[in-house]
Amino acid sequence: MSTTRGNGASPAATVILLLGAAYCLVPVLWVLVASSKSLDELFSTFTFAPSTHLLDNLAELSAYRDGLYWRWMANTALYAGVGALASTLVSAMAGFALAKYEFPGKKSVFNLVLSGVLVPGVILAIPQYLLLAEAGLTNTYWSVLLPSVISPYGIYLCRIFAAAAVPSEVLEAARIDGAGDWRSFARVALPMMRSGLVTVFLFQFVAIWNNFMLPYIMLGDDHLYPITVGLNGLLNQGANQPAMYTSVITGSLVSIVPLIALFLTLQRYWRVDLAAGAVKA
Amino acid sequence: MKRLVALTAILLLAATGCSGTDDNEGESGGKVELTYWSWAPNMDKVAEVWNAAHPDIHVTVNKQDGGDPAVTKLLTAIKAGSGAPDVMQAEYQKIPTLVAANAIADIAKEAGSLKSKFPDSAWNSVTLGQSAVYGVPQDSGPMMFFYRADIFQQLNLQAPTTWEQYADVARKVHAANPKQYLGTFSANDPGWFSGLSQQAGASWWGVKGDAWSVNIDDANTRKVAQYWGGLVQEGAVLNTPMYTPEWNAALNDGTQVGWLGAVWGPGVLSGSAPATKGKWKAALLPQWDAAKPANGNWGGSATSVTTQTKHRKQAAQFAGWLNTDPAALKALAQTANVYPAATDATATALTTPPAFFAEQTDFYALAAQAAKATNPFTYGPNVNVAYNAYNDAFGKAAESRQAAAFTAALGTMQTTTLDDLKKAGFKTA
Amino acid sequence: MLARARAPYAFLAPALVLFAAFLAAPILYTAYLSLWKVKVSGLGLGPDARTEVWAGLGQYADALSEPDFLASVGRVALYGLIVVPVMLGGALLFALLLDAGRTRIGPFARISIFLPYAVPAVVASLLWGFLYLPRVSPFVWVLEHSGIGAPNLFSSQLVLYAVANVAIWGGTGFNMIVIYTALRAIPSELSESARIDGASELQIALRVKVPIVRPSLIMTFVFSLIATLQVFAEPMNLKPLSNTISTTWSPLMTVYRDAFTRNDIHSAAATSIIIAVATFALSFGFLKLVGNRAFGQES
Repeated sequence: MSTTRGNGASPAATVILLLGAAYCLVPVLWVLVASSKSLDELFSTFTFAPSTHLLDNLAELSAYRDGLYWRWMANTALYAGVGALASTLVSAMAGFALAKYEFPGKKSVFNLVLSGVLVPGVILAIPQYLLLAEAGLTNTYWSVLLPSVISPYGIYLCRIFAAAAVPSEVLEAARIDGAGDWRSFARVALPMMRSGLVTVFLFQFVAIWNNFMLPYIMLGDDHLYPITVGLNGLLNQGANQPAMYTSVITGSLVSIVPLIALFLTLQRYWRVDLAAGAVKA
Repeated sequence: MKRLVALTAILLLAATGCSGTDDNEGESGGKVELTYWSWAPNMDKVAEVWNAAHPDIHVTVNKQDGGDPAVTKLLTAIKAGSGAPDVMQAEYQKIPTLVAANAIADIAKEAGSLKSKFPDSAWNSVTLGQSAVYGVPQDSGPMMFFYRADIFQQLNLQAPTTWEQYADVARKVHAANPKQYLGTFSANDPGWFSGLSQQAGASWWGVKGDAWSVNIDDANTRKVAQYWGGLVQEGAVLNTPMYTPEWNAALNDGTQVGWLGAVWGPGVLSGSAPATKGKWKAALLPQWDAAKPANGNWGGSATSVTTQTKHRKQAAQFAGWLNTDPAALKALAQTANVYPAATDATATALTTPPAFFAEQTDFYALAAQAAKATNPFTYGPNVNVAYNAYNDAFGKAAESRQAAAFTAALGTMQTTTLDDLKKAGFKTA
Repeated sequence: MLARARAPYAFLAPALVLFAAFLAAPILYTAYLSLWKVKVSGLGLGPDARTEVWAGLGQYADALSEPDFLASVGRVALYGLIVVPVMLGGALLFALLLDAGRTRIGPFARISIFLPYAVPAVVASLLWGFLYLPRVSPFVWVLEHSGIGAPNLFSSQLVLYAVANVAIWGGTGFNMIVIYTALRAIPSELSESARIDGASELQIALRVKVPIVRPSLIMTFVFSLIATLQVFAEPMNLKPLSNTISTTWSPLMTVYRDAFTRNDIHSAAATSIIIAVATFALSFGFLKLVGNRAFGQES
């Protein structure tokens, strides 16, 4: 791994990267500017002309049905936090087993899990509902949490991380020292996989935070909604009610802030290695 | 097999030790708990009125995102065998679909006696012309025409009373300022178009004996399609959907000079363009034949009892109270922004005009007039198929700006809808 | 030693149980549903008017002969031809520039380009909708005030690009991070020795770095391909703003329409299975084609 490469600054590189950054930032900037506008200004003043109504909009958002929005935020944090944590642990265990053991059926298990990547959530939502209904779990926190824990993608990544980061010799040494399988995993392998696990956690956290279809179909009580479903409801209220644009936009802004904060604090962990082992550095 | 797959999944669930918590909409100490799905704003406040007066039957409102999502969820819950509420707000056009899916219960025994409290058109929507009663009518959506009185005055224009005049005014409005339009043809709002067709005398479905008929491509609807196709082709009205940021902007800056909406329109206008308050006026829909005033509905819904409820009697009792009791009607009109379907609501609950039309004292008198002139209309069991077809076929037609494409789109709608009924096995005539 | 034989299964157990409950069972159930259909009798209004009858492969035949569905497949192929090269090309370019380290704005650019990944599709479509629609768009405003005149992005010719743009915007950053991660793992001696041999930065990038990160590029390609075949959220959320996005615009929108608005879960199930099988065939077919063992790598 090297830190600085090349020799001297290249203006062309800077310009291209700036263009890329602008393309990605401008729409986000729009959310920021738009949430400072009153409803009238949103549709009348120039798009990127900021105004002074951010606090009013926040107050309006908070006032909506006695602060329901903040309940949605808390729900989302619960779904994403707990779901991603459980998902990371389950994926780490499975990835570790797939990377570090030889056992009959290993290849089929891996291929089976991987095929899960191929099936989109829209397809799964209704069958999942019908199955959870048999267990009486629809319209509960469980109905959103449980299906979020399984992540074929997470297992796939964990397998790569375990293969790359945990040398077999170390496990062997632990075993000779009398450590059981669980101990070897929890005390030896997990710490070595740490940075990869943070990636899997972040990945699943974002996936659950932004998930729409599953909670949309599972939940009837809007006190259990996550933010995506809640905001969608404010936007599409049917023909006889207006879309609550200012609340939706301000709500969008507020809902992105925690993710941005998470990105900034954990950005050094964002190493998504889809094919590690290509070159072992 | 279905059970087997489900059972396997549950066993697996149980094995992980995750099942267990169960929602029990039970009775504790003789008290009945009812869940009510509705998307009208502040419906929980209306339910509070009921809860205060009925300590034995407690109603909890779960706010929904609107008619379509609520129906999707209800039908999924019905398929699953659990998860449905006890009471459900159901749009009139969805009632045949819900009945066909066995999702809402016949409450003729409990609510049949309420017939006299409602206009025939509303009552027909909940009986489907049969002896069963699938809900208590809640609100109706007689269509109305809203226009910017200030701009009309500037241009020295009168509110159109016939469609001919409407076309004329549309041309003048657009000629005065090329950015300005009297209206738009919205391919995203099938309910709007069916309301206009209803006014023209269409009834897209019908029951003959034990068979359904589909009459979407009939002379009445074709008249409406041709009319709008013509206006779009000559550019006198817009061809872009309503309820977009674009449309909101036009309402705000006054380039959308009129809107063919319905009685609930003031809520939409005040929520979309609050600064234009006081500049709008409401009028009756323009007429095809001024001598025979007619009207159509856009929206309107009933309060239905689901087939999954364990408390049908209490649920029906609540549905009846909600839509006939004077206190409830008052609460519906004033806090839930609902235009009640009950005949005596106008006298008791709708005495002052909506705030956005504060100066128009005859607002509800006009609405009552519009409601009274509403033509009969029958919805079929596959309204969503027809509505999706409207979306797709008229979307293309509107984009092409060709009048001929509008009538062709109607043909597509007719074929798609009828074929779907046949394919599903419905008897058709 | 016996414990050792059981250990991998114990580690896999939670994942497998959850997989069975929330992926395998729903998929099997979907396959089962796809073989049945609802038969209605008479007016279809009584509680016993609907029965489920065996349909065999009839639903599949219907789906595959539906012109709207076939049109949506063609549309998505075209969409993929736009999205995948632009998104991955951009991601590779940005990643190489960041890795070359010849700019001071690296960290800023990296986080900025990655940022859209945090924006849910509902919000992304709303904000791009505002940026597209003529009356509220700043771009249209600028173009019109400069006398150029702006195109209508929701016209039937351009709507494909309008949808593609939202996907490219949302996906470039993530793929950039993937490729960048792989680039950072390349030992610096490789580039150094190439440089000493007189290779330019461009040559180093194309001849040394790109071949080494090929496995990562292949994986990003496969995942982009899957996302393309399953494009749903962007067109679905832009649909209310335009006349040109139909309810069957993409294959998955057809599934949504059948299952959610037409209440015909059996047709939706058959279409779902077709999409899943096509995704499977294309992604594994591609991996075979390039001779990549990435999915089952680490030989």
